[in-house]
Amino acid sequence: MKDLQIPKIYTIKKTPKESLEKWFKLMTVGRAIDEKAPNYLKQAIGWSYHAPFAGHDGIQLAVGQHFEKNRDHIFLYYREMLTALSCGMTSEEIILNGISKANDPSSGGRHMSNHFAKPEWNIHSVSSATGNHTLHAVGTARAIKYYGEKTVAISGQGESSVSEGYVYEAITGADKEQLPVIFVVQDNGYGISVPKKDQTANRKVANNFSGFKNLRIIHCNGKDVFDSMNAMAEAKRFAIEESKPVILQANCVRMGAHSNSDDHLLYRSSAERNYVIDYDPLAKFRRLLLRYNRFSEEELLAIEADVKAEIKVSHKAAMRAPDPDPASIYDFVISDPVVSEKYPDGLHSEKGEKKKLITALNETLKTEFRHNPDTFIWGQDMANKDKGGIFNVSKGLQQEFGDKRVFNAPIAEDFIMGTANGMSRFNNKIRVVIEGAEFADYFWPAMEQYIDTSHDYWRSNGKFTPNITIRLASGGYIGGGMYHSQNIEGSLVAIPGVRIVYPSFADDAAGLLRTAMRSEGLTMFMEPKALYQDPKASTVVPDDFEVPFGKARIRKDGDAATIITYGNTTHFCLEAAEKLMEEGINVEVIDLRSLIPLDEETIINSVKKTNKVLIVHEDKVHGGFGGELSAIINEKAFEYLDAPIRRVGSPFTPVGFNRILEKAVLPNTDLIYNAIKDLISY
Amino acid sequence: MKKIAIIYSFNTQKSKKVAEKIVAAFGENSIEVINAEELTTEAFDKFDNFILSAPTWFDGELPNYWDEFIPDLEEMDLDGKTFAVFGLGDQKGYPENFCDAIGILVEILEECGAKIIGETSLDGYTYEASKAERNGQFVGLPIDQENQGRLTQGRVENWVNRLKKQMK
Repeated sequence: MKDLQIPKIYTIKKTPKESLEKWFKLMTVGRAIDEKAPNYLKQAIGWSYHAPFAGHDGIQLAVGQHFEKNRDHIFLYYREMLTALSCGMTSEEIILNGISKANDPSSGGRHMSNHFAKPEWNIHSVSSATGNHTLHAVGTARAIKYYGEKTVAISGQGESSVSEGYVYEAITGADKEQLPVIFVVQDNGYGISVPKKDQTANRKVANNFSGFKNLRIIHCNGKDVFDSMNAMAEAKRFAIEESKPVILQANCVRMGAHSNSDDHLLYRSSAERNYVIDYDPLAKFRRLLLRYNRFSEEELLAIEADVKAEIKVSHKAAMRAPDPDPASIYDFVISDPVVSEKYPDGLHSEKGEKKKLITALNETLKTEFRHNPDTFIWGQDMANKDKGGIFNVSKGLQQEFGDKRVFNAPIAEDFIMGTANGMSRFNNKIRVVIEGAEFADYFWPAMEQYIDTSHDYWRSNGKFTPNITIRLASGGYIGGGMYHSQNIEGSLVAIPGVRIVYPSFADDAAGLLRTAMRSEGLTMFMEPKALYQDPKASTVVPDDFEVPFGKARIRKDGDAATIITYGNTTHFCLEAAEKLMEEGINVEVIDLRSLIPLDEETIINSVKKTNKVLIVHEDKVHGGFGGELSAIINEKAFEYLDAPIRRVGSPFTPVGFNRILEKAVLPNTDLIYNAIKDLISY
Repeated sequence: MKKIAIIYSFNTQKSKKVAEKIVAAFGENSIEVINAEELTTEAFDKFDNFILSAPTWFDGELPNYWDEFIPDLEEMDLDGKTFAVFGLGDQKGYPENFCDAIGILVEILEECGAKIIGETSLDGYTYEASKAERNGQFVGLPIDQENQGRLTQGRVENWVNRLKKQMK
């Protein structure tokens, strides 16, 4: 899109004196804290991560001055102290974050210093992974557009962040959906020590996106207050009025090192360091105020003295503030789920016609979409005429709920995940369901956003909970081979902040999905795709069924041994148990349903009764969830064991495509039967 | 020919050397040297012929001494005054905005009614984009000390010879 004219709203001669005074004061406060921050580290008080903003002053002031708290949404990267101040955060709040105090509004000392946020104003908590929040800004802008707000989402980032693939996904997604989002690229020429030429062929990285249809690219001098103010005003006007994205590339200098762990003397000449200091934006602004007689030297000195006094007061208040309580680490790992009064244990005795697992999921999705109008679903292959989802789980949803609530996503798993995070930031009523990938083992590209989303609630000190259900068609037994048959939950259970459920039957699938979609927080909902249409997974499903998280289901009572399982293998375990019953061996089969949280009580009670344990899952034995289960039983019920815990699962190999290879890898009824026989005879 | 004012930053190294070559080519008596760092509007009242030094900084910016003077400059009436602009740039390091500062400054001068002379040929330069390029020529004299320093003397002399004919 052509670089259209930028109206000159703000100039040194025309801007009201009170505005100039406010700006000068903000810039002076910011610079004073920027220069003071390293002292906290030297005195071992804190602020061990500090990325100085000096040299970005013009653009950061401008971005903050255009942010309307509680209306716009903004995502500040770790170099944006002045933007935070310009958005309205106080010097005391900045120092509280810097020295990681309990009442730090960003995270209560949980997240790194120099990561400024105030979620209650829509200054969102962001990751340290550069550019990660571009996808969140896009997701938030999607909500802004859906709800018809005349506001904007703003992502602050360095120019090197544009090298990240997910930043490209964010920009192309915003372009396709025509979303009101501004990517403010603050270009200081370096990604830590890596110069721009090693990041991109275009020195002006924004121009890498010049072929995008709806995107407007604006360049400005980020060192100049007026050029930045005018550019930001135009960027915001355009994004809102046209409902289209903007890249605002601001040319800055980095007057200092990347951060206090970086020594820029190792790679920058003294000539370079000197000339960037010559272009100090604050010194330039000060010169302009004097040159054009907007302020006298005495007036500026008085403001500078006021700032000095203010920071002294803020410093003292922050130093007196309480430190975080070590006992608080368990707070806000994940939100509390809804509590079912009717089905507190996730059990029912409904009679009637059985439904397939896929039908149960489809009907539950529809019921919940009717129940909550702020529910959305997207994914690859989500909706095109009669196709609804790769396995048709979401069939008919778009016809009933429209293409604004049910829609296709581009083939970009991280985008699917990241925009879910972003959209759920808009308000707490929103519930997002995503088909995270075509198949569970295609989910890996989304791990970057998955990891970030997993710790959002904890990181924000409980101020933001991503309310997302990720549906993944998981597991094998379909002759799918790699990327179509593998299990990934063994890797996922190591990440705190996510509930992981893996039902085996239609009723549990429906009940868990309903609980996930009504609850706050992030739920990984793994669907055993081999069972979608399988009659053995069909059950009667109450219309309003709910299954609480962390409630296992004893699928078969017994006393000879305990089999703990979930997903596809539940059915093999039950088949093996039936076969054993014919031989007079009565084993208990526990279907976990939830891996996280885990129903330890049901497991331990069963172990006390049977004294022998076999753990079965489709995923690899090596590094699988069975290892954790085994360790828990050892720690909490060792004295009740009469035999070593046994595990059955896949070997430490990928899943082969040829059915012969697949069969050689995935566990089956015979394997389980033999393992139980072996265990019983120990 | 009326006396010429050449305006450049005395704090610079490379621009200063080129300015000195220009002064030498004109002859010291016909040209007055003004420090751009201490520029006032009055300086523009005293002369009718000007040579301005506008090196390009960063990715296509005016240096601070010009940028900070612009709010005054753009309100001036320069009708009847003649300007020629030269500027240092780097074709290899910054090919996307080679000598942009010349173009930026010329545009402002034109809006103030100034007459611009000293256009030069694009021949001998290799770059991707330049705000100094207009209608198949440069609107001033680009100098590339980084990559073509040995051509500077000749470029300056040719330029000054033509300016001598055009300046009244």
